[in-house]
Amino acid sequence: MARLEVESEVTGNVWKVEVEAGAQVEEGDVLLILESMKMEIPVEAPQGGTVAEVLVAVEDSVSEDQVVAILDT
Amino acid sequence: MSWEEEVREINRRRRLAKQQGGKEGIAKQHARGRLTIRERIEALLDAGTFQEQGLATAIPDYDDNDRLTGFVPANYVVGFGRIDGRRVVAGGEDFTLKGGSPNAAGLRKSVYAEHLAVQYKVPLVRSLEGGGGSVKGGGGRRGGTVGEPVYATPRFRIIADAMGEVPVVSMAAGAVAGFPAGRLVASHFSVMTRYTAQIMIGGPALVERALGVQLTKDELGGAAIHAKSGIVDNVAEDEHAMFHQVRRFLSYLPASVYQRTPRVVSEDDPERMEEELLTAVPRDSNAPFDMREILAMIMDEGSVFELGRDYGPSQIVALARIDGQPVGVLANDNRVYAGAMTAEAGQKYRRFVEMCDTFHVPIVNFIDQPGFMIGPEAERSATIRYGMAAVCAAAQATVPWAAIQVHKGFGVATAAHYAPNNYVLAWPSVESGALPLEGGVAVAFHREIAAAPDPDAKRRELEERLRSARSPYPRAESFAVHELIDPRETRPMLCRWVDWIQPQLDELTGPTRFPMRP
Repeated sequence: MARLEVESEVTGNVWKVEVEAGAQVEEGDVLLILESMKMEIPVEAPQGGTVAEVLVAVEDSVSEDQVVAILDT
Repeated sequence: MSWEEEVREINRRRRLAKQQGGKEGIAKQHARGRLTIRERIEALLDAGTFQEQGLATAIPDYDDNDRLTGFVPANYVVGFGRIDGRRVVAGGEDFTLKGGSPNAAGLRKSVYAEHLAVQYKVPLVRSLEGGGGSVKGGGGRRGGTVGEPVYATPRFRIIADAMGEVPVVSMAAGAVAGFPAGRLVASHFSVMTRYTAQIMIGGPALVERALGVQLTKDELGGAAIHAKSGIVDNVAEDEHAMFHQVRRFLSYLPASVYQRTPRVVSEDDPERMEEELLTAVPRDSNAPFDMREILAMIMDEGSVFELGRDYGPSQIVALARIDGQPVGVLANDNRVYAGAMTAEAGQKYRRFVEMCDTFHVPIVNFIDQPGFMIGPEAERSATIRYGMAAVCAAAQATVPWAAIQVHKGFGVATAAHYAPNNYVLAWPSVESGALPLEGGVAVAFHREIAAAPDPDAKRRELEERLRSARSPYPRAESFAVHELIDPRETRPMLCRWVDWIQPQLDELTGPTRFPMRP
């Protein structure tokens, strides 16, 4: 089991959080959706695993490369 | 009397030259997980095609009777060879000797590599490894001469000139610092290995001395740093994957600016129309979509070779083929800042357009441009300057240029997507103007909105009115686009365009007014 830090590629605000800690996800599943430059940008699971922690909440601002969630893979 | 004795001696010296840094030096190189320069050149080129220049160049030692007692090969290997049957010059430092830092004989050959490629009008592939000059080298002994004579041509002149004459490719497969790092970026394509290469201006010892910080080579200039810094275009998993990328890159380009791009026979049907293109762009203009999937559906199957994906990622640049014709592909990735042009994306764009212009590679541009990136970070990084550099590069481009209006086209940044030799197609999903509607209405009509009894309703009414004017038909009616098309028709239309531009491509050879610079 490895802990995988999921980073945001962009600066923006959290619009929706789609998963909770403990959820099983597969590669490509949407963890949360950011709003940046008027676009809805999904943050996807880079690998399958279990969501260990979601580090941001709706309306939080997120910066480029910020860790937004942690997966156990 | 024959010359048999001399011939024996010639052959002995050839054997000595190939010993490089000796068994121990070679073993050390292998232990670092790296190939030697001779192994690299062999693996890069078509089998058995390497024809070395200056194999016998060395630093010799003679005894009093003029007998050869020592023979240190030049630690730069260079020569002719073939890649996919096409001529190239390949060269690189021999790290098994003096850590690649040029010995006197090696230096003579190393500075010759660019001359050789330019003179024979063939691509240059450099393997780079080492730290360049050392304070230990380069004379200064009393009575000798120091420095270059004042009338000498600057050593870097040929490095700059080569970029306007022949394709130049650089590979980093070890630690590369100093002058070799400069050479690395003075290329049209550069690639490093993920685990065995680092690129630095100055290495850890210099950095610690100058700045008092302790960093490893990887922390300073490993692949994780430079995929994003844009110093290299691509990262390869190992040396063989790196050679494969180099061969692939060269397949799209002519041997020099004096020839035209190599068109191949395509096995992909020019009339192929992918159904999925009809739904590729969502009707909700704020929903993202995958531009790379669109490119893959339109270009010849498997022909898209992307450059620098992690650098300035809102802008995609790639080489690809349409009906066998190499083309440069520009496209916006709306999943990164809606595809906005950042300072880095602007520089990436300008350099790529200049490269395509230098080698007369026609451009196909898939436009989804919301504008220049805005915000404090964008202002601090001088986005508008690099953005305008991109606009100017496009405005002066000489190559045939197909612009596909896929989705957004807002602001001055959109000007970067059109060139004088345009062929403009629009998809029904196109939206354009000075500013996107949300935001744009609030700015332009702020008095009118504030004065209205219900400002919110007024804003919505204005947005709605303008949104209906966003209809794609007026552009076709006004001949502002050549054709408004069904997205599925894009490939057949581009294949026909590729046929029509062939006479222009035959004419478009020779040096350009603005070649690419690093």
